[in-house]
Amino acid sequence: MAAFDHIRNMHDIALKPRLLRTLIREHMPDEKHPLKGPSELSHVVSMVKTHRLLSESLTADSTDPKVVESWKAAVDSWVNRVLMLASSNTPDKCWAGICLLGVTCQECSSERFLASYSIWLPKLQSHIQPPADSHFVKVASCASLSDLFTRLGRFPRVKKDATSQAVKLVQPVLKLLNEDSSEAVWEGAVCLLCTFITFFPSSIHRCYDSAEAAVVSKILSGKCSVKMFQELGHCLALLPKSRGDEDSWSLMMQKILLSINVHLNDAFQGVEEESKNNEAMRLLIPPGKDPPPPLGGHTIGEALDQRTKRPERLQMSSVSTLMRCCCTMLTSSYPVQVRVPIRPLVALAGRVLMVDGSVTQALFPFMTAMQQEFICSELPILHLYSLELLSAVIKGVRSQLLPHAAEIVRLLTEYFKRCVLPDLRIKVYSIMRILLMSMGLGIAVYLAKEVIDNASVDLDSIAYDGGGTSSSSAYLKASNDVLLQPCQKKRKHASTASSLEEQPDRVDLEVGLPKNPTPVSVKIAALEALEALLTVGGALGAESWRPSIDCLLITVATNACKGGWAKEEKHNFLSSEPVLTWADFQLATLRALLASLLSPARFRPPHLAQGLELFRRGMRETGTKLGEFCAHALLALEVLIHPRALSLIDFSSASNTSFDGINNRFPDAYSYGHKRNTPFSTGTLGKGPDDSNLGDDDLYESWLANDDEIEIPVTDDAGKDKSCTEKPSETCRDSSPEKIPLVADSFSTRVPEENRPELVSDRVEGKGGEIMVEAPQFQEPIKQGDSTSRVISDGVVSDHVEGELATKPDDFATGIVSTAMATSNLERSKQLDVDSDMESLPDIVDGDPDSD
Amino acid sequence: MEAELVIASSATDAGIGCWDLHSGAEHLRYRSCSSPPHGLVSVAGLFLASSQLRDPSSSSGSVLYWSWNKPHVEVKCFPAEPINPLASNSDGTYIVGGGVSGEIYLWEVATGRLLKKWHAHYRAVTCLVFADDQSLLISGAEDGSVRVWSLLMIFDDMRREQARHIYEYSFSEHTLRVTDIASGYGGCNAIIVSASEDRTCKVWSLSKGKLLRSIVFPSIIDAIALDPGEHVFYAGGKDGKIYIASLNSQGTSNNSYGMHIIGSLADHSKAVTCLAFAADGVLLVSSYEDGMVRVWDTKTHNIIRVLKHAKGPVNNILVVRPPLCLNPQMLLNSQSSSVRRHGSSLPPPLEKYTNSTDEIAEVKAYLSTQPTSNEPLHASYISIHTMNNQIKELQQHGSSAAAGMEMERLKHDCKRSMQMAERWKTMYENVHQFCVNELLDGDQAEGCNGNST
Repeated sequence: MAAFDHIRNMHDIALKPRLLRTLIREHMPDEKHPLKGPSELSHVVSMVKTHRLLSESLTADSTDPKVVESWKAAVDSWVNRVLMLASSNTPDKCWAGICLLGVTCQECSSERFLASYSIWLPKLQSHIQPPADSHFVKVASCASLSDLFTRLGRFPRVKKDATSQAVKLVQPVLKLLNEDSSEAVWEGAVCLLCTFITFFPSSIHRCYDSAEAAVVSKILSGKCSVKMFQELGHCLALLPKSRGDEDSWSLMMQKILLSINVHLNDAFQGVEEESKNNEAMRLLIPPGKDPPPPLGGHTIGEALDQRTKRPERLQMSSVSTLMRCCCTMLTSSYPVQVRVPIRPLVALAGRVLMVDGSVTQALFPFMTAMQQEFICSELPILHLYSLELLSAVIKGVRSQLLPHAAEIVRLLTEYFKRCVLPDLRIKVYSIMRILLMSMGLGIAVYLAKEVIDNASVDLDSIAYDGGGTSSSSAYLKASNDVLLQPCQKKRKHASTASSLEEQPDRVDLEVGLPKNPTPVSVKIAALEALEALLTVGGALGAESWRPSIDCLLITVATNACKGGWAKEEKHNFLSSEPVLTWADFQLATLRALLASLLSPARFRPPHLAQGLELFRRGMRETGTKLGEFCAHALLALEVLIHPRALSLIDFSSASNTSFDGINNRFPDAYSYGHKRNTPFSTGTLGKGPDDSNLGDDDLYESWLANDDEIEIPVTDDAGKDKSCTEKPSETCRDSSPEKIPLVADSFSTRVPEENRPELVSDRVEGKGGEIMVEAPQFQEPIKQGDSTSRVISDGVVSDHVEGELATKPDDFATGIVSTAMATSNLERSKQLDVDSDMESLPDIVDGDPDSD
Repeated sequence: MEAELVIASSATDAGIGCWDLHSGAEHLRYRSCSSPPHGLVSVAGLFLASSQLRDPSSSSGSVLYWSWNKPHVEVKCFPAEPINPLASNSDGTYIVGGGVSGEIYLWEVATGRLLKKWHAHYRAVTCLVFADDQSLLISGAEDGSVRVWSLLMIFDDMRREQARHIYEYSFSEHTLRVTDIASGYGGCNAIIVSASEDRTCKVWSLSKGKLLRSIVFPSIIDAIALDPGEHVFYAGGKDGKIYIASLNSQGTSNNSYGMHIIGSLADHSKAVTCLAFAADGVLLVSSYEDGMVRVWDTKTHNIIRVLKHAKGPVNNILVVRPPLCLNPQMLLNSQSSSVRRHGSSLPPPLEKYTNSTDEIAEVKAYLSTQPTSNEPLHASYISIHTMNNQIKELQQHGSSAAAGMEMERLKHDCKRSMQMAERWKTMYENVHQFCVNELLDGDQAEGCNGNST
């Protein structure tokens, strides 16, 4: 090849064969050259994957036969080299060859794969059979074989051949599992087995029992790493799929449950009553029926019986593996409908959750302190897996859980009272969340109190940095009192920082250090549970718990976001697990806050202004999840700011009786409006300013009610007035930020005076004005309100007339009265356009008030 | 646009008619069904079920199942009493039926077990509707009462004993028979609209349990349908008009119909019996006493299709997505075997009595079905991951396996070197031998020469 035979660019197909050849020549070992080092291999693989060097996929514009030919030849030589390496008798070259063959299996073109997999298969196969190679080679062969079969699974037409190949391999794989001593090899074998079950289920048919025995014996031996246990449990859970019928699933489930219960019988001796374990067994084996064969077949069962005294720690790890296995069985897919033994499952979870390590008086002599210590040390893990089991049941049977839901809820609430450890609390919160989301309103009634009580305790320490922890019994009342203080303080000082500054002092004075701070992860879980509750059943607690929860959430959110936004730094050394950071917490608080603002209640969200402020600040955090979420939140809240369609429910809540009540209160406004608007459809008018009048009246009432409910009358009259008047102005500010000075000024100064015409002109200037204009009504409820609204509607209505005249001369001229909602929809949107036009064109508006 | 089916049944035995909504083409007609109002239900799109009108002499009721692809009745169930309305939740796990005695029956579909039965009303139940989030059931009765039940409460024996009543709400503002109930969107903020023979429709709040609005109509309303946007609802009257009543505008009346009523769709026809919305929220399907089914475009107020079902009054209309088994393309698909199995094998018949001794220990459940894509996840390839792990292990020289491989390699090298050494050795020996021989030979030759000289 000429030295100056340049390619076009990095996308040129001609690059690929050349790159591949270079790789083969310079980076791969051959007979003479040894492997230069393992990192060389990963370089080769990454090159192959990045440039898709083996894909032989051609783009439309490059069908130059010479290039195609050259690429094919390059891949041919790659395959030859890899096969040569794989059959080399030097272990490192052989290992490299096997690894690269696995890569080839997933990267090469379909045609090549189908044409040559039957040649590659024996190469790989030979390495997992005796005479044994090094462990490295065995593990790599298992992985590459698994990839080969995974790829084969995508071609239905070779299924038969592939199945027969897989059948031949099952025995050797089981042998590896049984006889080899290295855990890495077991893992590879289990992986391969899972691949068989997933893609070629019938290949396991004949060896079903021995496969079960092999996996179970490993699980019960208890001598594996945690990761290995996971793999084994997963494999056991998948096993029934190879048969795919209802019976094998049920049998497997029954056997596993039995095995768990038997283990627990031993472990829980002394910490639970004997009757419990009899009951669990009775549920599993209905009277008059034969027990199923033990898990893993008789030989393993007997072997276990003989070795009665296994170290207890090992038993516990087997139990947790089996529980996890149940979870996988419940949550993974299965081809046919199965009978889920829901009562035994719930009973098992309940049995474990009810054990807290306390020894009853009667059983005292049978238990040494050491035994008790051991049980107590293992209980958290068992509890965690029991909770996992419950959540798997909920996920698995979905709506069919209904007959058992009450039992699960009782179990959870009882457990929640005693549950202290962070991980367990997180789990309980998450189960409650799943329940709420899946079962809706019905369950929200049950869970509301539980979620609120617990979440308030967990979040309480935030507002006070763990300082004022309250006793759990009478805490709700206490915390309500305590919680409300920062709100009031904020109102008084009108500075958000004040409450924070005060808190450290308090903490210092009272306890010195935060007592038992709740971990961030628990708080996040609590917030998520609250969010779910508000989403599903926010309106339920409108009278009772909503005010305090809304207040709690805004407090938590402001405090969390006070110190600026945390960076989403996920980098953590020497740990692959994601660690929940402060940024996650901030996000969780904002999510819950949004739910609290959006979830409908009788009143407009009292903390809307503060919430909007937070979201606006958050939105500036470009490129973070938090920023994205804040943008979403602002979008969602827009409806609250510009209430285009106030719902039926919002109206009625004002008067609680019927609509006539409202109408009676504003008779003039309405009749006047009608007179002026008869040419227009009622639907259009319904969306007019009258709506917002009502809405705000409602708002006012609810504020009053709200204040009565929340605010403990600490403040004097003047302070209360202030709080009332300050809030609307906040709302104004939010709805039209560019008009802040104007609106705020006119509001605070002009309203008390009787300056009607100016008021009207203000009204016209923007949405924010609407709220402002209502202020006189606030002060003197009905009488003045009537006159105001009459004047207002007068002015406004004339605006509308003119606005519509301008845009829709046809309608007006012909006097079409469209009564249909479908069309009025259209009009409404047009009218909104008109409104916004008016807002954006101040010169027109300025001209209008003269029409008064 | 996605295809939708209009399904209609009537009290006289004209079978169940089934049309494509958009083309108007008639599909299979399912035979021998004479349903009471609200008695026809598509159970999660898996099959059709309908309660049956029986002659008054028979004491037991009858509920029939049809699978989508066969015209004849496949499963017959005989509940303890005649069932009027039938409803099923969106997952198709439960079927509830309202009896003429006021009892409500709740069956589990998969097993046919009668899970619960409770006395709900003093007179016959006329309508049953699941609320949007499927956890509440709303029932209406001949005595005019509308009640809201929490299914959780129904199953929670402990709470039921403590509570004074097991319903969540009982609305008794209607004075005559409740004819139809519609439930709005949203969990706890949903509204319920009920129609009654007292010529009113009433709107209720689910979260507060209060009457929000009562609308008096010029005629008896037999059917209601909520607009998907819920700013209006449609009410079909005995006078053949479909009234449009507003839900969120103010109480205004600028026409002859009355408060809140803002218009009507009328065609000078017989009494409207049922209303149903298509999924797009624009097409409204109405059925009439004369056996006709009309499809309205609610935007233009025009009739866009007329279907004829029977001579007698149509009393049930459903609009459903066509089930998979009716879709010809699905049959060709490789996965259709399971679909066909699910589609055609109907669950066992509903049981007549609760088996009180048998505790509900098991739930027959579909675990999530097979993922539909044939494409296995990319992450399921493991060899590269394994290789990288092994490379790490090799580089750290930590594990015995790595050491083992290293040793193998060294052994191999060693062996090769030994062989090499051996070869060198033999070569050396050969040379040595050669040299010695040469030398000796030379000596001998010299000796000979010397001797000779």
